[in-house]
Amino acid sequence: MASKFGLAGGIPERRVRPIWDAIDSRQFKNALKQSTTLLSKFPNSPYALALKALILERMGKPDEALTVCLSAKDLLYKNDSVLMDDLTLSTLQIVFQRLDHLDLATSCYEYACGKFPNNLELMMGLFNCYVREYSFVKQQQTAIKMYKLVGEERFLLWAICSIQLQVFCGNGGEKLLLLAEGLIKKHVASHSLHEPEALIVYISVLEQQAKYGDALEILSGKLGSLLMIEVDKLRIQGRLLARAGDYAAAASIFQKILELCPDDWECFLHYLGCLLEDDSNWSNGVLNDPIHPPKFIDCKLSHLADEVFDSCMSNAVAFIQKLQADTSNNILRGPYLANLEVERRKHLYGKGDDDKIMEALMQYFFRFGHLACFTSDVEVFLEVLTHDKKTEFLEKLMKNSESNSAVPTKELGKSITLLKVQELIGKMYRLPKNELEGSAVQMVEMYCKNLPLSKDLDPQESMHGEELLSMVCNILVQLFWRTGDLGYFVEAIMVLEFGLSIRRFVWQYKILLLHLYSHMGALSLAYEWYKSLDVKNILMESVSHHILPQMLASPLWVDLNNLLKDYLKFMDDHFRESADLTFLAYRHRNYSKVIEFVQFKERLQHSNQYLVARVEAPILQLKKNADNVEEAECVLDSLKCGIHFLELSNEIGSKSLTFNEDLQARPWWTPTSEKNYLLGPFEGISYCPRENLTKEREANLRRVIERKSLLPRMVYLSIQSASTLLKENIEVNGSVSDPKISSELKFLLERYAKLLGLSLSDAIEVVVGVSSGLKPSSAIAPDLIDWLNFAVFLNAWNLSSHELAQPDGEGHRPGTWDIVDSLLEKYISEVVRSINPIICAPWIDLPILVQLVTEPLAWHSLVLQSCVRSSLPSGKKKKKGGLDLSNSPLTHVIRESIQSLYGTVEGVMKWLREQIKRPEDENLETILSFVQKTGQNEGPGQVFKILETYVSSVNDAELGERISEAVKSWSPADVARKIITGKCTVLSEFLKICESKFKSLKTLKQQISQV
Amino acid sequence: MTTIRRFCCNDLLRFTSVNLDHLTETFNMSFYMTYLARWPDYFHVAEAPGNRITGYIMGKVEGQGECWHGHVTAVTVAPEYRRQQLAKKLMNLLEDISDKIDKAYFVDLFVRASNTPAIKMYEKLGYVIYRRVLRYYSGEEDGLDMRKALSRDVEKKSIIPLKRPITPDELEYD
Repeated sequence: MASKFGLAGGIPERRVRPIWDAIDSRQFKNALKQSTTLLSKFPNSPYALALKALILERMGKPDEALTVCLSAKDLLYKNDSVLMDDLTLSTLQIVFQRLDHLDLATSCYEYACGKFPNNLELMMGLFNCYVREYSFVKQQQTAIKMYKLVGEERFLLWAICSIQLQVFCGNGGEKLLLLAEGLIKKHVASHSLHEPEALIVYISVLEQQAKYGDALEILSGKLGSLLMIEVDKLRIQGRLLARAGDYAAAASIFQKILELCPDDWECFLHYLGCLLEDDSNWSNGVLNDPIHPPKFIDCKLSHLADEVFDSCMSNAVAFIQKLQADTSNNILRGPYLANLEVERRKHLYGKGDDDKIMEALMQYFFRFGHLACFTSDVEVFLEVLTHDKKTEFLEKLMKNSESNSAVPTKELGKSITLLKVQELIGKMYRLPKNELEGSAVQMVEMYCKNLPLSKDLDPQESMHGEELLSMVCNILVQLFWRTGDLGYFVEAIMVLEFGLSIRRFVWQYKILLLHLYSHMGALSLAYEWYKSLDVKNILMESVSHHILPQMLASPLWVDLNNLLKDYLKFMDDHFRESADLTFLAYRHRNYSKVIEFVQFKERLQHSNQYLVARVEAPILQLKKNADNVEEAECVLDSLKCGIHFLELSNEIGSKSLTFNEDLQARPWWTPTSEKNYLLGPFEGISYCPRENLTKEREANLRRVIERKSLLPRMVYLSIQSASTLLKENIEVNGSVSDPKISSELKFLLERYAKLLGLSLSDAIEVVVGVSSGLKPSSAIAPDLIDWLNFAVFLNAWNLSSHELAQPDGEGHRPGTWDIVDSLLEKYISEVVRSINPIICAPWIDLPILVQLVTEPLAWHSLVLQSCVRSSLPSGKKKKKGGLDLSNSPLTHVIRESIQSLYGTVEGVMKWLREQIKRPEDENLETILSFVQKTGQNEGPGQVFKILETYVSSVNDAELGERISEAVKSWSPADVARKIITGKCTVLSEFLKICESKFKSLKTLKQQISQV
Repeated sequence: MTTIRRFCCNDLLRFTSVNLDHLTETFNMSFYMTYLARWPDYFHVAEAPGNRITGYIMGKVEGQGECWHGHVTAVTVAPEYRRQQLAKKLMNLLEDISDKIDKAYFVDLFVRASNTPAIKMYEKLGYVIYRRVLRYYSGEEDGLDMRKALSRDVEKKSIIPLKRPITPDELEYD
């Protein structure tokens, strides 16, 4: 800020500087005082006003700031003699932007530019305003004006970028690119180009129009010398040639690159692709998802004739051999992995030889088998082999790996690789139970035996063999899934906690643990581990999926609130500042980043997780305030009665969603947050491809967001619908509530039903059927919470519409009150009964219970509160004699409904208290008894036994003080205690929620009894 | 087998496994994007087969006169790809760009005085400890300013170690 000095609106610098100094050192009061003095001297200076506005905004007085800004703006417009400089305007701009009034800043600049049409500085300011508003067309027009004024290359490129933005991020047709091309061509003819980035943009404009030949010509011409790194130039050249279909030339270019960078794997794939005339890398069709590029390289079956194919392959092999011979550096994996890729391509062509693939794999193993990345390097090649061949390969590997390496860390690396290959090809999970247990035992032994290797490592460095414990955990969870024996589950936790007490930084363990604890219902513990991952900034977008979905269904509202708040703040801050960074790229002439930044912002704006969080944040506020209808109404007021979210719900169908989560680190049993194998019966091997999950998730999430975003409005309308119920009955007989509310609620109910897959009348049949026992309760189980919400809103709607039969009628149908009451009672008690009382059992149904209480039950209690409120005398108006309502059927059903809810909540509280008050010792013993099984040589506890023995006989000299102390610090009892506390914390939080509801219902009971 | 290419925004969503490592800082967005907007040549990412991100380097070029230099802001490699000289490759790339394209005099970097493994690695790459910056990290831990001279600094003047440690406010900023 302080650097922006100069004469502003005729104010001498010495008067302004102290104010900026005060602002910079955050002494706003002082700054304000000085600015008031300044204004008394220069009352008509827009700059002095802008400064004051800026200070007021920083002091947290947005309204005052806006008023001052507007008067500065008025001054600018009214007074012709006022100096209109960029400093004044940019200061105003800052304040307007912070006040979310970009439009006002833009109009100031527009006005100024109109008044001083040839002022470059002002025009740049205006361009910047359009960048902030993402007005690509206006950006282009302004840039062209600047270009015409001074003829500088950079302004031309600003215009070109603005054109490209119209094509790729706006609704400009591709024809515009021709205009861009023409503009550059003309400029090149007269002025040439001087910046490498300008050349890149020029080439991109041609490439986007598939004018590859033209682009190549320019690249090889004089302009090409702008690119100073030879390899960069070659890469572009290779890409253009390949796109143009000149594969032979492209291949020789890629060959050149490989000679310079023999380890460039992507380039090798391009090289081979070009040899085989495979255009799948280059087609302009649907681009792969850039965030989740496929693990397996896409390639087309070669159409080449046999002999051509053979000669291509032998050329490739010869070239690879040359590369291998030329590279003295034997760490380079590329030239060796290349052999495997050649064999894979042959296989795809139908000329594969499994033995050769295996041989190449063996060779690769001999060279790089000790590396942690061996398995991920060869994964795609193993995939080519049949199951039997994979097993054969594994056997070969085992046989050949017995030779002892002189370096123990390498030896360990190789042993781990062997185990990882077994895991990868699925062999591990086909083993019988005792052998699988044996593998886990072997791994833990290997881990312990090799701990001394890490003795001299820095405590921060990752230790040798750390992966082993993750693999042990995977096996134990697999065993738990197979047998249902909780012991394995507890054992998996113990192993990981053991690993973390030795080195507390292993994020892989933390992620596994947080999922284990989540599954167990010890969510507060899971959240602790999540916090220790220090997930911040952009990682919140890619990593929060590990915890957010569980938290949304939990009673840990404080933590959930923080999670949502931090995440939304990060995203919204980025959306706010992104345009300024785009402008920075313009200013520094890094044009290719301009488009990248705009596209990235759009990607984040369409993030499915962001949309979920945006809907869930206000729903959380509603849940928190549902025990007090006035407070809930305040929340709804701040949400414009849910209108915004209704709009979101309407739009979501046509919006493309992006999936930015990094799912790679998720454990095998829950490859996405919607899927958890452990919830279902054992299905056999645990391999789930992580790719191609996005499409399924997209449809599902769209539905979820659409439905969730209807909620605030439906809650609002339900409260409204009930709000005059008893009052009306006092004064008029019949309904006079706003018919609009009733018709809107009906409309939304129809939509809600549709999202559940049914028409409104069919959906009504379902809830009627289930509540009366005519339909099985499983009929609504998959979307239980949504169905119960539906029932609650249905009842609320019926209060004002009376379209459905009344309970006191002769109908055979139950009234809607009964439906809601019985559904809530039935499902809540069913869930409570189904939860396994054992402390370390997974409480799969606990989240459902929490949601039942905090969503449908809470919404229904709001309806009840609204009803009862309408019966209370308001203000000065005293209750008139009128009709006696105490015996009316309506009062009766409301009273019953309150009583029913009261009883239901009471039941939940009773269960919760029973769980919480169970003595810790008893729980502790239960947990430990699952793993401490003396005398048994199979079943859970084998791995645990090794750990216990190891800890008790730890060799200080061998391990070094640090590690041996860490090993000794592991205490299974402490872990068990943590589990107990973790679970009890969740229960206590839930109990608090229930208690608050209970209290509110008690008050309602009293109030209704006085009606 | 590493493809090294310019870092782009989408990589921010793909570098999780590198950044979850506790020694790798995840900066705020404007930090990354300012580097991308101003010094895209100094921000590179390494990818292994299967499109796995294995590490990255970010840096900048700045300074006046003979202090015109490349600066390594962060360099990091995922644990499973360590001990394969990937960091060296990334560092060499940045040094090359500083030397050949921007004609800088030297490249420098800051490291925690306690981070022995990193200091050793930088020394192997030809960096020397130029000076100690007292309480550089959050006012607690000292930082070491390490430098490597480039071809333009013929007499290697830029790397003659300072005799005394300095305080953070003595650091020259642009």
